[in-house]
Amino acid sequence: MKYILMMTGTKADFDWYATWSKRDLQAQFAFMHSFNKELKESGVLVATEGLAFPNEAKMVRAAADGSPITDGVFPESKEFLAGYWIVDVETPEQAYQLAARVSAGPSPKDRGNQPIEVRRVMSGPPPEML
Amino acid sequence: MKYILMMHCPKTGYDTFGAWPQKDIHAHIGFMIGLNKELRESGELVSAEGLASPQQAKIVRAGKDGTPVTDGVFPESKEFLAGYWIVDVENPERADAIAAKASAAPGPGGAPMNMPIEVRQVMSGPPEEMS
Repeated sequence: MKYILMMTGTKADFDWYATWSKRDLQAQFAFMHSFNKELKESGVLVATEGLAFPNEAKMVRAAADGSPITDGVFPESKEFLAGYWIVDVETPEQAYQLAARVSAGPSPKDRGNQPIEVRRVMSGPPPEML
Repeated sequence: MKYILMMHCPKTGYDTFGAWPQKDIHAHIGFMIGLNKELRESGELVSAEGLASPQQAKIVRAGKDGTPVTDGVFPESKEFLAGYWIVDVENPERADAIAAKASAAPGPGGAPMNMPIEVRQVMSGPPEEMS
């Protein structure tokens, strides 16, 4: 069963992240690096990616002629995807366990553990829809 | 340059989709299959995934002892990731053009949905000075 573990944050969260000291960032990178290595070695890692900061995010819509209309204005409340892991595990509990590990990753001050959204990844559309 | 193209929807998004006439659902899925094929053939597709319904989404936090605490309650306004493409393209304009194509996927009655697609660059790793 493939699950996606998503880290998200508002623009304010990213602004806060940008103020972390180099030492705190290095501690976080080291944590992520060894977490990824462990997932890779245990064979559960399918993919992991980190996204650019939300100030680079754009919304794209097709105009009537199909050409892209881009817009960079988002509501304050919007949660941006910061990064994700896709893991292939036997049970949802294993996915939750891994999410809890990420949730407790190092951060400069105690803001409480970070929420991680977990959802199953589909291998394709349901057969009855094909 | 790698870009991620994200489709978002509210909690009710999947229910709405499920209520479309089957013909329209077929046309929509057929369009997506065709788009993926085109991107694979042009060598631009890195990956594409569709996520399960938001009804199955859980928020997980570590408890004090590190064990997972799960919660399935989300604000009504929350936008859920429905699916995404990662493409490896020559320039940002090409990513926008592919996003526009996905945006115009057929909806009910076959009309283009012109849905919003969030586009952002994917990093290959932490900035060099940090690793």
